[in-house]
Amino acid sequence: MKKLLPLFLTAALLLAGCGKSPEASAGATQASGGAKKITVALLPKSKGNAYFISCKAGAEKAAKALGVDLLFDGPTDTDPAKQNEIVENWITLGVDVIAAACDNKEGISTALRKAQSKGIKVITYDADALPDARAFFVNQATPEGIGYGLMDEAARLLNGEGEFAIILATLTAGNQQEWLRHIKNRLAEKYPKMTLVATRPCDDLKDKAQSEATALMGANANLKLIMNICSPAVPGAAEAVKQAGKAGKVKVIGLGLPSENRRYVKEGVTDSIILWKTEDLGALTVEAAVALVKGTLKAGDKSFQSSAMGEFEIKGDNLLLGKPFVFNKDNIDQFNF
Amino acid sequence: MSAPVQTSRWKAIVLRHETALLAVVVIEWLCFNAIGPRFGSLDNTFDILRHSVEIGLLALVMTPVILTGGIDLSVGSLLGLCAILFGKLWRDAGLSPLTAGGCTLVIGALAGGLNAGLITGLRLPPLIVTLGTYSLFRGLAEAITRGADTFTNFPASFLFLGQERWLGLPTQAWLFGAVAAGVWLLVHRTTFGRSFRAIGFSPEGARYAGLPVQRRLTLVYVLAGVIAALAAVIYTARLGQAKADAATGYELFAITAVVLGGTSIFGGVGTVHGTLLGVAAIAVLNNGLVHARQPREVAGMLTGALLLLALSGSVAPKLWAAWRARSRPSPPPTPSSTTS
Repeated sequence: MKKLLPLFLTAALLLAGCGKSPEASAGATQASGGAKKITVALLPKSKGNAYFISCKAGAEKAAKALGVDLLFDGPTDTDPAKQNEIVENWITLGVDVIAAACDNKEGISTALRKAQSKGIKVITYDADALPDARAFFVNQATPEGIGYGLMDEAARLLNGEGEFAIILATLTAGNQQEWLRHIKNRLAEKYPKMTLVATRPCDDLKDKAQSEATALMGANANLKLIMNICSPAVPGAAEAVKQAGKAGKVKVIGLGLPSENRRYVKEGVTDSIILWKTEDLGALTVEAAVALVKGTLKAGDKSFQSSAMGEFEIKGDNLLLGKPFVFNKDNIDQFNF
Repeated sequence: MSAPVQTSRWKAIVLRHETALLAVVVIEWLCFNAIGPRFGSLDNTFDILRHSVEIGLLALVMTPVILTGGIDLSVGSLLGLCAILFGKLWRDAGLSPLTAGGCTLVIGALAGGLNAGLITGLRLPPLIVTLGTYSLFRGLAEAITRGADTFTNFPASFLFLGQERWLGLPTQAWLFGAVAAGVWLLVHRTTFGRSFRAIGFSPEGARYAGLPVQRRLTLVYVLAGVIAALAAVIYTARLGQAKADAATGYELFAITAVVLGGTSIFGGVGTVHGTLLGVAAIAVLNNGLVHARQPREVAGMLTGALLLLALSGSVAPKLWAAWRARSRPSPPPTPSSTTS
């Protein structure tokens, strides 16, 4: 009998845990009983990632404004099966729409197709699944948007003339190549007085980016700006410029997270960080998900009218978040991802 | 005369760890069923079953390992390695999924054999050996795929194993049932099972009693390897994808289920049905919390609490007896105690 005591205690603990939740679920069932509240399930790549927490904040605001229930759950470890299990749980839970940021394109598509076959709407955001496993992909940035955004910002800082160099992850990575192509197109098309003097890979490593930046400044006396198109390179190049005492003389811009670069931006070493507003990404995803359930967003649409953020373009089955956002000294403190 | 014997037997069954664990599972079930409208549905029951097959298989073979007083930390990594080797055999070597699966089981046996060889041959502690192979197998999986290669686009006939139903149940549940029955018979109905416990109680004693300790140990680690490989094939079929980080951390879930099921981590004591209940208790908890709309982290906390309480359960009676012995006035000396 004594041996059983702890197990009974456990049972009591469980009962207590359960005892609390009926209120929460009663609220949910009540609402769904009344007006059939839509439930949106939002899946991040990983749950603790600051990037996705920021997406969630935007998603929550949108869900509140639209009067829908939002479920946010994602893997807390690296097992690739977790995203599938969460989606499968949501299928049986009977949510109305699933919005997924896919960690494993092919793997998760199996689960998303299953959801679709059960009548659940599926969209993806941030990272796409296979096209047949979802209705729309909320695309946070097209390669063109990123390439043009970076080039335009560089030109703005240099008043359209001078030498600049690019540090990228590797010369072979597909997305890097594509961004580079758009940067070069924009350069040829709009900024004839600017010259790209070098393109150097840093293998996605901060310290390698730092030594590359130092070498670039040594080899090119007239270098005015370093553009970094992979996120570890931005603080790496900034550190090199700072140590060389060239802050302000050689400008640093790049694609990265505000949090990783806040220090350099405030010190005046890094001029601007280009990325999309993750809160807007979360909000647009929820708006599109709800519209998909209501039938106001359907295949073939050319644009999407959001209720809080205006109109968004749709290209094929990609709903575009729009131009990337420029983070600088004046606004970087408002963003915590 | 027969009546009191009957009651004491019933009392023994009721007081058993497994019975209490069964009660926990039933309470969990009733509780979540009351909260989540779809928790009790057949679809959800099958989801729970599907999601627990791989960890369940690992827990099943971990039971004899722990019964012998050993441990196998490498099973999760081996699952990952076997998954990508299965993918390679199918995609790059052009084998049919069935042949590739067969080869994968052989690879699992060899990997288990490596563990067994180091443990029995060099007399190294299982904890250290399998900690080494834990890194080795995962490292190999990552090296072979360079961390980036994934295997997908498996034929539907293969995915049937992980995603469809056969004769009313999820396909992999049949395999799981067969392995569970096999391991149960091995542990509880054969001399092998008794020898595992004997080795767990005292390896030296077992050796002096004439048991082939090395061969028995080899058997349990090879079995663990083979079943980890089987789990790898099922995992791949369930996800439709094989990747180097497959099943990261599964070894700890399996060990948790075994210990929760009442198997002593020191070996010698434990049952296979206890392990199955341990797997069920964790799986139902994980799934049910989603239906109760509780965050995933709560599942980790409650699993931990459940395990700690179950463990304290096994020592509480001893502590209680010791406390009572101390607090009670010492009995007057008896002739027998003076002589001893």
